[in-house]
Amino acid sequence: MSIECLVLGAGQDVGKSCVVATIGGRRVMFDCGVHLFCRGRSSYPEFDRILAASGATDFTAAISCVVITHSHLDHIGALPYFTEVCGYHGPIYMTYPTKALAPMMLEDYRKVMVDQQWEEGQYSYEDILRCLKKVIPLDLKQTIQVDKDLVIRAYYAGHVLGAAMIYAKVGDAAIVYTGDYNMTPDRHLGAAQIDRLKLDLLITESTYAKTTRDSRRAREREFLQAVHKCVSGGGKVLIPLFAVGRAQELCMLLDDYWERMNWKIPIYFSAGLTIQSNTYYKMLIGWTSQKIKDNYRAHNPFDFKHVCHFERSFINNPGPCVLFATPGMISNSGGFSFEVFKKWAPSEKNLVTLPGYCAPGSIGHKLMSGKPTRIEVDKDTHIDVRCQIHQLAFSPHTDSKGIMDLIEFLSPKHVILVHGEKPLMAFLKERVESELGMPCYYPANNESVSIPATKNLKMSATERFITSCAGEQTEDNLRKQKLICGSNMAEANTDRKLAEGILLMEKNKAVKILCEDELVQVLGMERHLVQNEPMVSSRTGAAGE
Amino acid sequence: MGDPHLLSSAHPAAAASSFARKHPGPIDERFSDPSPHITKRPRVAADTAATGGSAPYPEAEVRSLVMMAGGIYPLARAEALRGLAAVLGKVDAYRCFVAGIVECCYGCAVELMRDEDEGVRLAVVGLLGLCAQKFAARWDVDAKSDGDIMDLIFQQLSSMARDMCTKVRIEAFGALGKMQRVSEGVLLQLLSKKVIKTDTMSGTIIKGQKLPPKLKIPCAAGIFAHGIEDEFYQVRTAACTSLGALAKFSSQYAEKALDLLMDMMNDDTETVRLQTLQALFHMATYGYLSMQEKHMHMFLGLLVDANALIRNAARKILGLVNLPKLQMFKSAIDCLIASLEKNPEEQDIYGILFSIGKNHGSFSANIAKHLAKEIATASDGELILDRPRVKALMIVSISAPFSDDKHKKLDIPSIIFSHAISLLGKVSCALGEEVNQDSLLSYLCHKGGMPLWGNRSVSAEFGESESCKVETVEVGEQIENTAKATKCLDRVLVMQSVESILQTVEGAWTMRMSCDVCEARTILRTCKEELKVLAENSSGSIGAFLSFLCEYLDAIRLVVELWQLIQLDNSYTVGLTAPDILLEKLNISVRRMECCYAGLNRGLEVQVMELSLLANLLGLSNIGACSKAVLSKLVWVINRLEGLCADGSCELSDFSREIKKTFEADHIGNALIRNIHTSVELFRLKPTTDFGALKAISAVFQVCDNNSENPLSYICGLPVGVSFNISLWNISSNNRLWLHMSIGESVQHTFLEFSSFEGDGEVKSGSMVVPLNTTPMAHSFVLRVCLIMECYGGISSNQERHGGPSDCVVQLSDELDVYFVSTGQR
Repeated sequence: MSIECLVLGAGQDVGKSCVVATIGGRRVMFDCGVHLFCRGRSSYPEFDRILAASGATDFTAAISCVVITHSHLDHIGALPYFTEVCGYHGPIYMTYPTKALAPMMLEDYRKVMVDQQWEEGQYSYEDILRCLKKVIPLDLKQTIQVDKDLVIRAYYAGHVLGAAMIYAKVGDAAIVYTGDYNMTPDRHLGAAQIDRLKLDLLITESTYAKTTRDSRRAREREFLQAVHKCVSGGGKVLIPLFAVGRAQELCMLLDDYWERMNWKIPIYFSAGLTIQSNTYYKMLIGWTSQKIKDNYRAHNPFDFKHVCHFERSFINNPGPCVLFATPGMISNSGGFSFEVFKKWAPSEKNLVTLPGYCAPGSIGHKLMSGKPTRIEVDKDTHIDVRCQIHQLAFSPHTDSKGIMDLIEFLSPKHVILVHGEKPLMAFLKERVESELGMPCYYPANNESVSIPATKNLKMSATERFITSCAGEQTEDNLRKQKLICGSNMAEANTDRKLAEGILLMEKNKAVKILCEDELVQVLGMERHLVQNEPMVSSRTGAAGE
Repeated sequence: MGDPHLLSSAHPAAAASSFARKHPGPIDERFSDPSPHITKRPRVAADTAATGGSAPYPEAEVRSLVMMAGGIYPLARAEALRGLAAVLGKVDAYRCFVAGIVECCYGCAVELMRDEDEGVRLAVVGLLGLCAQKFAARWDVDAKSDGDIMDLIFQQLSSMARDMCTKVRIEAFGALGKMQRVSEGVLLQLLSKKVIKTDTMSGTIIKGQKLPPKLKIPCAAGIFAHGIEDEFYQVRTAACTSLGALAKFSSQYAEKALDLLMDMMNDDTETVRLQTLQALFHMATYGYLSMQEKHMHMFLGLLVDANALIRNAARKILGLVNLPKLQMFKSAIDCLIASLEKNPEEQDIYGILFSIGKNHGSFSANIAKHLAKEIATASDGELILDRPRVKALMIVSISAPFSDDKHKKLDIPSIIFSHAISLLGKVSCALGEEVNQDSLLSYLCHKGGMPLWGNRSVSAEFGESESCKVETVEVGEQIENTAKATKCLDRVLVMQSVESILQTVEGAWTMRMSCDVCEARTILRTCKEELKVLAENSSGSIGAFLSFLCEYLDAIRLVVELWQLIQLDNSYTVGLTAPDILLEKLNISVRRMECCYAGLNRGLEVQVMELSLLANLLGLSNIGACSKAVLSKLVWVINRLEGLCADGSCELSDFSREIKKTFEADHIGNALIRNIHTSVELFRLKPTTDFGALKAISAVFQVCDNNSENPLSYICGLPVGVSFNISLWNISSNNRLWLHMSIGESVQHTFLEFSSFEGDGEVKSGSMVVPLNTTPMAHSFVLRVCLIMECYGGISSNQERHGGPSDCVVQLSDELDVYFVSTGQR
């Protein structure tokens, strides 16, 4: 028996995650994402290869189930296409929060499709709704019997609200697909958590295969220090952000700091979307970090104490304040964050924080690369940038230490890396193989890897065999007991004994183990003895040579 | 293997025996025979037998437990590991390493380190920690043994701290903090997730052992970086504690650990922040804390934190650290002032300001100069001394002369001192209780150039006339003393160490429960030694309290020893047996606590009474039958305790309540003896640290002109007078003191009439001649004299006193030898 692993997306690449694993004849598709930098059909995984590999005529027959790990588009974006356009009608599993967040994310992406005027591969709003209707929600650590043999279970992965790692098992063969995960907890999300399982294969993301980050605490301190300096000097802080995740994280950090400092300086949220996602967070408390779970009865941490009602005219108000505005990278084309940036950038008292990643061409990218004093918006307008710039470095992905730790903890027999850049993956593969001694692969898209799987066999043993084993062991122990008195105890650990016996497969395929002297009796034969007498010719003189 | 129910039995030996019984064959005889013995024997006895080396009991236990640890049932595996830990905890370090038990346990633990079951991994951590302790103890014995193993265990524990199970992580961080030695390279690696290259790591020698630093387990790297950002606050707390505790091993580590700890101040859980401050305070107390400029922002934020506990803890640390730069010093002072303005009720800030100023003499001098300028330029009424800022700066300024850097000449403008007089209350409050307000006032006046003290006729040109000079010298001396006192007696520090000592003692007491008597005794001894050192450097009521605690620890130690003897139950009772002697010592000790301290507050008295109850109970059990005297004493103590707790200010402990109940049920006390075990188990140590105005009653006396070279002369058979110089401390007029004089067997008591003694309430002294009524018919003899005091609380069994004191007395002074030689011999 073997496990066949076909990587349809995110092989030596970040984007359109999609892995199809065949375990003992059961085919499971993990994630079904889109590539955000591509358009049309090329942004989807090449689903036809599944049919080619399985020999089936339709997807429902070829695939036992689809499991989605979390709600980011590069993990879920192609799902409506696969179910509604390609015609997969089998079960789809995802966690409750993922199911809740999915319509928002998919609808966002659908609008992009329309904007970009895709020629093919579009799906409609109705497709999204129909698709999500088929989804079966999963809870953490809930074991689901997909069919007679296939069992799946979700473990907490951190990363984003509702992210899960998926454990799948057929017979004795078991694998874990991690999706994206974070080994260090945030303020609002916990760290990935999984049991020590006996695994044949671990498929893990490797976004930061070579990066080792320092403590999150240091980054928090730097951020707070920058904000503190700015507001205590009477300046305004602009935090351009996307809606889900980082905004909650930073706001909790600030809210807490405000509380401790006993400040009355207002914090504003500009975007309705952020407020909407706050509502989701409030509902899905069970999926957040321990601290929030412990405290939410007394005070829901997503009811931020210091966040005030916001109106657009407030940006001209005097005095210090903090403002969260979308979109994250301050795009030239507009958006509220750009509007505010135009107003606030000329004062050196103010502060603008930038998210970890800004697309090339955006103002955020220009600010990140060097410190421009003047930004040309178009021919006629320009902005004088005198404000302070602070680069945020919070990431929801684990670093290479975290990946190594997870692999070490799970100690699978084989490792496959996905969701990363090729050179970095090659580096990590070396480390896994040399430090942990596990075979490691990082297949490219549309490549497939086959690994052997565990198969346990049940066999019976004769009573005689067991007694003889036990007897041998006790004798051995007695001998050792005398040794102990002579003060040697360290060997007590090496007690694993080898037992000697004969393995017999009967006609009904049942396997049995028995003692040497029982064999004759079982087979109903007589014992024959063959004696050999070796003849060795030797010369005494040759011994010295 | 046997069935899982039997195997998970709590007692290791029982588990072992059940295991043995399940097995057929010769092993049965071997195992089932000794095991019941182990369970039945008192553990102490088993220990001694093991150290005697006559029977290899621990080896047998260890062997069977190791076998069980390889079993298929996770609960049984975990229980086996805990059993191993119990066995390992009992055996003495040196011996067990001879037998290889530690190696055996260690090997077993390492094998199960990656077990699938959380419970097993949890037990592994406990066992690993214990193994580390034993290995370290071996190192103490035998310096040549391999130190690599310690580093390896350290790394293994660190890798366990990365476990997915919260409990395992908490336990692992706890165990890391308890490690006793480790090489610097390994330590530094714990702070950084990036693997430090071998060649840049200095193989620094720690505790005389050079180690090749090498990371054997990659996931152990940066374990503290992970620990401090853990999701569970319990883990973060444990990580912080260990982070601080390990700082004693390496200054380079301490520096980097400080960075991490400082980052913890942004934690969202108050417990974690407080624990972090505790860890910092710990580091500061032991001098490993070197604050840098980059930490100041975070730290100063704490001083104005919304939480009073945090502010308080942060201030305490600030009072101890050394700030290398004037800028940092100034910002700290400013921040304290801001905090003071915000929270005017927090008066202890003045104390902190004083100690910061004291620690940074030249910086405070700088502040003083500026302040003087401000005062000088300010017109009348503008500089209001009531303003917290001015008050604070004033305190910092006058703290400068107390600073340690005497080599620098710090000239504080006298105008400061003259202004400071109006703040006398604040200043003396800041200085703490050790300083007398009057002497402070005169010091300030002197420094401020105001002839307020003594001779008022002295002209304004101060310091010119004779009388003034004399005064100056005196004042200077006085202030020198106070300065010394403030320096060596940071009251807070003393109380803190006392508290930690008391915690250890409580730990030792519970250890007694688990039968480790020898170790408990050693701990108690060491604690007492530490207290003694503190007591010698303290004075006033804190000194009295410390000596009281010494006495208390002595008594506890005696109880532990006595209890051990009673449990062994040696039935021979001929003459004075060891328990008798111990019991008598215990009684004396309790009596001393009762009588030799004036101003025992209620808490302390309850504490003493409970001890007395315990002593009497042990006395009963020692005799085996109930003596009337002991019973009546018991009644007295119970009544006293009830009286003390009557108004509800303190509560009758379970122990006393139980005894009272038993006693009321059966007045003859047989039930008491029967139930003694349960009663003693109920006894809890809870020493209080609130001592109020405790005073130690003591006496010192000497004989004029007498030593073995220069004896007094006498005529055989005739009385002779001996003249004593006596000083008494804290003796009130209702105390009855006697001189106890003995020559060989014959004893003479003389009542001490000290009403004529001179002195104030605290010290009385005088000299007197005491007649020795009969001198022996000998050429020479030695008279042994000591001062004793009658205890008025106790009940005397001896009704006829023969003119001497009641038999319930305590010795107040050491025994003094007086040498006599007959005149004929001279």
